[in-house]
Amino acid sequence: MLQSLIRNVWVPMKPYYTQVYQEIWAGMGLMTFILYKIRSADKRSKALKGSSAAPAHGHH
Amino acid sequence: MNENLFASFITPTMMGLPVVIIIIMLPSMMLTSSNRLLSNRFHTFQQWVVKMITKQMMSIHSPKGQTWCLMLVSLIIFIGSTNLLGLLPHTFTPTTQLSMNLGMAIPLWAGTVFLGFRHKMKSTLAHFLPQGTPIPLIPMLIIIETISLFIQPMALAVRLTANITAGHLLMHLIGGATLVLTSISPPTAMITFISILVLLTILEFAVALIQAYVFTLLVSLYLQIDNT
Repeated sequence: MLQSLIRNVWVPMKPYYTQVYQEIWAGMGLMTFILYKIRSADKRSKALKGSSAAPAHGHH
Repeated sequence: MNENLFASFITPTMMGLPVVIIIIMLPSMMLTSSNRLLSNRFHTFQQWVVKMITKQMMSIHSPKGQTWCLMLVSLIIFIGSTNLLGLLPHTFTPTTQLSMNLGMAIPLWAGTVFLGFRHKMKSTLAHFLPQGTPIPLIPMLIIIETISLFIQPMALAVRLTANITAGHLLMHLIGGATLVLTSISPPTAMITFISILVLLTILEFAVALIQAYVFTLLVSLYLQIDNT
């Protein structure tokens, strides 16, 4: 299956993936970086909210 | 009513598995491919549509810009077919999700910007200052042009999301209102149905296609600006 995938997809599209779309790969890297930043900020804020809520509720 | 209104915009999962992947791949599965020179009617029609789109979209570009032909034509066919399939009742439209539209807009816009900076650095930087600006205005204008550059991917994504989502919501609301009106006063319901709902559906068909066109056209314009 891998061989048919290589033969039908990679071989015809090789000049695109290697030369034409170089800037688009860079753009995708930028997008994943932004996504990582958003996700880590969300995780951090959720952890902060959880830790600030737990002692507040623990005093009841 | 609120729950019903936004239920169609929830990303579908079936027992924890993301079905949305199959939904996104569905329009491409409905397009035919053939190695023959003369094939059946459906494939010939599809070839004619693709040829028309290619000529329309790519005639404004230089040969270097035309290497993006495959990407841009795939983009417009994908967005157009996804939007049109979303007009069927009870379907999920991936282009209503901002995440997906940002995922399409940011890499493509960044690709055009990086292309411009890599191959024509001076000309790309020169675009930050329009010709004939008075000298005192130069710093402010450069800031404004930079902001407008960075807003481009946001505008691309939000435009598509908002248009398709708003159209779907309107159809839900007016359809619900028409349904309720049939039991209260059928003539009003008839008027509402014919004048509003039918016209809205025709508009939505147009919007589905137009939004695809606008998205792709703007990406190709950004490509042209940064390339010529």
